[in-house]
Amino acid sequence: MLGAGSTLQAVADTGSTNYLIEPMVILLLCAAGGVATVLLLPGPKQSPKLGGALLAVAGLVLGLIVLRFTAGPAKSDIGPYFWIFSVIALCGAVRVVTHPRPVYSALYFVLTVLASAGLFILLYAEFMAAALVLIYAGAILITYVFVIMLAASAQNPGDRSPLAGLAECDTVSREPFHAACVGFAMMGVLLFVIFDKAELIPPPSPEPAGATVMPEEEVHGSTQSIGQYLFQNQMVNLELAGLILTVSMVGAIVIARRKVSGIDERFEPTSETISATATPVNDDPHSIPVYGTTNPRQKSFPEH
Amino acid sequence: MMQFLALQHYLAVGAIMFVIGLVGFITRRNLIVMFLCTELMFQGVLINLVAFSRYNGNLAGQAFVIFVLVIAASEASLALGLVVLLFRQKNTLDADAWRDLKW
Repeated sequence: MLGAGSTLQAVADTGSTNYLIEPMVILLLCAAGGVATVLLLPGPKQSPKLGGALLAVAGLVLGLIVLRFTAGPAKSDIGPYFWIFSVIALCGAVRVVTHPRPVYSALYFVLTVLASAGLFILLYAEFMAAALVLIYAGAILITYVFVIMLAASAQNPGDRSPLAGLAECDTVSREPFHAACVGFAMMGVLLFVIFDKAELIPPPSPEPAGATVMPEEEVHGSTQSIGQYLFQNQMVNLELAGLILTVSMVGAIVIARRKVSGIDERFEPTSETISATATPVNDDPHSIPVYGTTNPRQKSFPEH
Repeated sequence: MMQFLALQHYLAVGAIMFVIGLVGFITRRNLIVMFLCTELMFQGVLINLVAFSRYNGNLAGQAFVIFVLVIAASEASLALGLVVLLFRQKNTLDADAWRDLKW
């Protein structure tokens, strides 16, 4: 490990410092990413092609710099999958943030969740991947999509522009420049800390992480190990998690059933209101006139 | 030469995803998309947790992921109930419509 690290520095770094990535490079990449995000966000200054190209270039440069650490004859064959899943997850995340239509944002979030589940599988966390797909992509996102559809405003069918039927709050973003400054400054700091003078930390061994907890002949995968770990070491926390789920379910029902004063009266008449005169439901002269029906073939009633 | 995927690779992916979610949370004005961006930040944290669990060789990180999923599910249900309530009051999803909620 030490020898490999020093070899890497001798090959890669130009100065006498032993950063894994030069801080100036990280700074420049984060600035490029910030500018690209400002261009991509919905608003009057939006230019998606330029922003997307800039973001792609910045991501490609960062990817190549990081890829340098994994160069050489690959001992493990999961490297390409890591890059594919990471690129899909990050592109999906960018589209979640920048797409003006909330439904498409939710669908791109499903893409991001699936790609992160792929990353989890690469980390020998199969149960976490399955739980992520079931809970996030299956349950939470369905709830989001339902709420988006419940809260959608009526769309004008004649409007064919790309932003047709969208509210103003979806098409104009709030302070994109300042937000990008804050966010990408934070990204620079985080990446700098991650790629600081630390050594690259290798994976422990080819076995799953659960192998250290159980004797080897009893291990059937990390799922069993997680179950035993949860029910032996985290018993109280697990019960508390169930309690929290129950409480939030009850709370969600209570919140959603609450009447909003001044709104519901408008839509639901409180008592039966009669809006028209009673008319027979069909042409049978003996039929009983009913309130609230209209018979198109009915001859006009003689006025009193 | 290095021939492995280091912990730093996964941490970098998690950090970038967290920051994208943060930027989205600040800039988007639709309440639902803002909550979607918090879920994006959760995703970045989850990748970090699972990577730490793998590279430390124990299961604490994965157990933490389960609890984060529990909190995310309950947060989503409560928050979406509140969003529906707010939408019925002002008939818009714009977070700026609630500007008068000051301290």
